[in-house]
Amino acid sequence: MIKDITIGQYFPGNSVIHRLDPRLKIVLIFAYIVAIFFCKNFQSIGLMLLLLFVTVLLSRISLKLIGKSLKPILIIILITSLLQIIYNKNGEVLLEYWKIKITTGGVYTAVFTTIRIAALVLASSMLTYTTSPTMLTDAIERLFSPLKIFNINVHSIAMMMTIALRFIPTLIEEVDKIMSAQKSRGADFESGNLAKRGKALIPIFIPLFINSFRRAYELAFAMECRCYRGGEGRTRLRQMKMALRDYLAFLITTASIAGIFVLNHFFAAVI
Amino acid sequence: MNNDLLVQFKNVSFRYENEEGEEQNPLAVKNVNLDIRQGECIAILGHNGSGKSTLAKLSNSILIPTEGSVIVDSMDTSDEEKSYEIRKTVGVVFQNPDNQIVSSIVEEDVAFGPENLGLPREEIRKRVDDSLKAVGMYEHRLAEPHKLSGGQKQRVAIAGIIAMLPKCIFFDEPTAMLDPQGRKEVMKTIFKLNREYNITVVYITHFMEEAVLADRVVVMDNAGILMQGTPKEVFSHGERLVEIGLDVPQVMYLSKALKQNGVNIDTDILYEDEFTDKFTALFGEKNVTD
Repeated sequence: MIKDITIGQYFPGNSVIHRLDPRLKIVLIFAYIVAIFFCKNFQSIGLMLLLLFVTVLLSRISLKLIGKSLKPILIIILITSLLQIIYNKNGEVLLEYWKIKITTGGVYTAVFTTIRIAALVLASSMLTYTTSPTMLTDAIERLFSPLKIFNINVHSIAMMMTIALRFIPTLIEEVDKIMSAQKSRGADFESGNLAKRGKALIPIFIPLFINSFRRAYELAFAMECRCYRGGEGRTRLRQMKMALRDYLAFLITTASIAGIFVLNHFFAAVI
Repeated sequence: MNNDLLVQFKNVSFRYENEEGEEQNPLAVKNVNLDIRQGECIAILGHNGSGKSTLAKLSNSILIPTEGSVIVDSMDTSDEEKSYEIRKTVGVVFQNPDNQIVSSIVEEDVAFGPENLGLPREEIRKRVDDSLKAVGMYEHRLAEPHKLSGGQKQRVAIAGIIAMLPKCIFFDEPTAMLDPQGRKEVMKTIFKLNREYNITVVYITHFMEEAVLADRVVVMDNAGILMQGTPKEVFSHGERLVEIGLDVPQVMYLSKALKQNGVNIDTDILYEDEFTDKFTALFGEKNVTD
C-alpha cells in the first residue's frame, strides 16, 4: 500500500539528467516553475512544455512512470479547471445555459491551469526521480551553506534529512510487521467508522515510536564509533563540480526562459 | 615488554547512571582485567546481562569506566581529547545492521567514517573500494541497503568500520539477528579480517560453535570474567559453563555420550571436522558413511 507511492522516489540511472550537478538541478527547476507562471500565450507555454519533454526523454525514465506520477493530482486539476470554467466570465460567450455561462476566457484559463499544475508536478518529480536522496540533501546543504552567518546549522539539518530518508523503508517494513503481529492477536484495522479505525492505529504507533527511539539511540552510538562530530572538518566522497553538460543545461534553460518573454511580447496574450 | 598490547582493561567497573534519587543500578561490569594483544582473535561468551556488550562500548570511549581505566594503544579512554584517536584505533560493530547504516546508498555509507576523518577525496574513494572488496560487497556498492539481506547489511556495516583502518574491531553479537546463511557469511568475513588483514578481532557471541573458532575465549558471568583461555581449556570446564547458563559445542555432547557407551573417543573434541577425523580413525571410512 505505502510502497506504491512514486512521488519523491529515486530511479537510479546514468543519463545526462542523472549526472547533472544536483545544486544546478534544484536551481533550474525552481526557475522553471516560476517561469511557467509568466507564460501568457500558447506559444510561450508550448516552449516550456517542449523543454520539459526533452528533459524527460533525456532522463530515459519510462513515460508510463511519468504518467503515474500525474495520477494523484488528477482530481485537483479537474476541480480547479471546472471552477475556472464556471466562474471566469471574461472573453466571448461560447455557451449559455440557465445560470452557467462558459466563456473563452474561462476555457483558456482552465487549460493554462491544467498545464501549469501538471508541469509543476512533473518538473519537481524529475528532480527526485533523477537525484539520489543523499545527493539531494548534499546539494541542499551546499546551496544553503551561506545561512551559516545567521547561526543556522545547515549541516545538522541536512544530516537529519539524510537519516530520515534512509529510515523510511526501514520504518515502513516495521509498520508492516507490527500490523501483522497485532492482526494475529485479533486486531481489526478495516472495519468500523473513522474514529474506531483511528483508535485501532494506536497499538501500531506506540510500538513504532518506542522502537524508533531505541533505533535512534543505537544509531547515535554507531555514528560516534565512526568518529562523527558534526559538519566541521568533514570531507566528501562526492565532489560537486560543474561540468560542460551543466553549463549547457544552464544555457538552454535560461535561453528558454528568456524566450518566454520574447514570445509574450510578440504574440497576443490569451490570459 | 608489552609492546604489542593494544587494548588493556585495568580493574574496570562500570555502572549505568540512574535518575537522581532512585536506587543505584548494579554494576554492569565489575573489576574486569583483560589484555588484548595485536593480532589476536578473541571470543567473549556470556549470557544476557553478563556485561559483555558494556565491555564493547567501554573499549572505544563510548562509555567511560566508573572505576579503573581502559588503555587503548597507550591512550586512556577517559581522556576526552583522545576519544577521536581512540575511535580510529578501535571500531565497534553492533548487533542490528539496520541501526548502523546512515546513508541510503552502500558506498556512501561506507564513506561516512572516512568523511568524518576529513580525508581527501581520492583516499576516501580508495578506502571505500578496498573495504567493500574485503567484505565481498563491492558489486553491491550502488545498492540501497534496505534491499540487501541481513548478512549483506552487516557486512556493509563492517566495511564502514574497516574503512577507518582500525587496529582492532569489537563485534557486539554481530550474528544474533541473522539467519544461518548470513551468520556464516559474517563469521567468514570476521576471520578473514583477522587472518588476511591482521586486524585484532574481539567478538561477543552466545553461539558455542562460533566461540570455539577463536584463539582465546573469555567467559563472562555476573559482570565479571569467570575464566579465559584457549577454547580447549575453557570448554574442558563444561559443567561449570552449563551451570552459569551457557552451553558446550554439540560435538562435545556427542563424544561424551559415545564415551559413556564404551566408545574409546576423546571427550575434549570441539570441532566437527576434528570429530569426523577421530571417528573415522576409530571405525574406518565405510562404517561412517553407512
